[in-house]
Amino acid sequence: MAENAVIFKGTKDGLYIILKEEMDLSTIKYNLEKKIKPSKRFFEGANIMNFKGKKLTQDEFDELKEIMEQEYGMTVIGSYNDKDYPVHEEHRGAKKPEILEQLPFDNVHKGEALIVRATLRSGQLIQYKGDVVVIGDVNPGAHIKSAGSVIVMGTVRGIIQAGANGDYGAFIVAYKMQPSQLRIGDIITRSPDGMGSKSDNPEIALVKQGMIVVEPYLKNR
Amino acid sequence: MGEVIVVTSGKGGVGKTTTTANIGTGLALKGKSVVLVDADIGLRNLDVVMGLENRIVYDLVDVVEGVCRQRQALIKDKRFPNLYLLPAAQTKDKNAVNPEQMQKLTGDLAEEFDYVILDCPAGIEQGFKNAIAGANKAIVVTTPEVSAVRDADRIIGLLEASGLRNPMLIINRIKMDMVKRGDMMNIDDMIDILAIDLLGVVPDDDLIVVSTNRGEPVIAIEQSLAGQAYRNIVRRVLGEDIPFMNLESEDGFFKRVAKLFGLNKKKQ
Repeated sequence: MAENAVIFKGTKDGLYIILKEEMDLSTIKYNLEKKIKPSKRFFEGANIMNFKGKKLTQDEFDELKEIMEQEYGMTVIGSYNDKDYPVHEEHRGAKKPEILEQLPFDNVHKGEALIVRATLRSGQLIQYKGDVVVIGDVNPGAHIKSAGSVIVMGTVRGIIQAGANGDYGAFIVAYKMQPSQLRIGDIITRSPDGMGSKSDNPEIALVKQGMIVVEPYLKNR
Repeated sequence: MGEVIVVTSGKGGVGKTTTTANIGTGLALKGKSVVLVDADIGLRNLDVVMGLENRIVYDLVDVVEGVCRQRQALIKDKRFPNLYLLPAAQTKDKNAVNPEQMQKLTGDLAEEFDYVILDCPAGIEQGFKNAIAGANKAIVVTTPEVSAVRDADRIIGLLEASGLRNPMLIINRIKMDMVKRGDMMNIDDMIDILAIDLLGVVPDDDLIVVSTNRGEPVIAIEQSLAGQAYRNIVRRVLGEDIPFMNLESEDGFFKRVAKLFGLNKKKQ
């Protein structure tokens, strides 16, 4: 497939041009022209990290680099020698800066959390031995069962069970709390019948004096 | 020993759940002890239609698996005397139970209640087989559409093959004015094809939608036509001989009742 002789690939390091192995240089040049010409203005000024794929000779590399820079106004950053050692490979070996733990006060909970980036729909059950964070909604009929606390960055309409192993200190937080049922430890509570007034504020459910209490956690809003 | 009645249809969306909820509520209003069993594991609805969704803690699968005692999973409907619901599990599927387990479950329930009413899932697969396993009576619900009638026919065949003889028919969501114009299948045609006893005909009624969304069975709404139809059906289930007004005077009955409530003004 001649169309795939040349592929522009964006990576987190920058733009690479991937050349198909079996193509000869003239095909590559033809395909580059075909790809870039129609949108020359788009490519102008772009930085090309390097070429990938087909093994090039020094001369071929220089020729391609010249074409890119002279005819299309792009800059090729990489050099022939590091062609097969992409830039990000170098970074990979580098030592990541370590984040040291710094806990300025006591009211901090440390533990494993499961992060769910989806809306949980009816019939979906999530069980986890730690905390659960949902970035999305929990719809009616969906069920979260967590040994720790549950945080929902969305609307809770289903059943949330926190502290499922009997931890009454677990809590449930949601942007919008409209659950069909909340459970903490073995305490169960449900929404009052008759769909009363619903709070638009983020709320927290926790155990107070043996009962589950739902209240805003941003007190002064 | 109470009666175990399965409400089934083959096709989805014809009103099995609504029928189950209303017959169950009606029987409870008549002083019978009733338990409604949602056999639609994974797609439960009966709890929502009954307005009991947020009271579910344990479900049918928990009972079958021995996670809880039967009594713990039964939700008492506080609005009606002696009406209980055994909800289905939502996070499992039909294969979570087998027909033998259902047989035992319904058998245990029948010892405690006058009526065990099972809301069968659509289809003829595992869920259907589970639902009919313990039943000793069947109610087939259909609507006046060829597809629904075709499926009802298939279901009746399957019921008879598994020993549930003489199922009873409920024709749901009929619009008499359309039947009269010849735009909808009429009752006699359907009985001709299906050849089983008619238990009742329920007219199409906007109040069904309202009551379903509110979680209050329409049978408790005095002025509802569908509610009246369900009240008659309940009395027939109890063995009373309520005449089929709609059959004797075709659409006359509905017209009369409609006129009574001033419903005939809105033309379809």
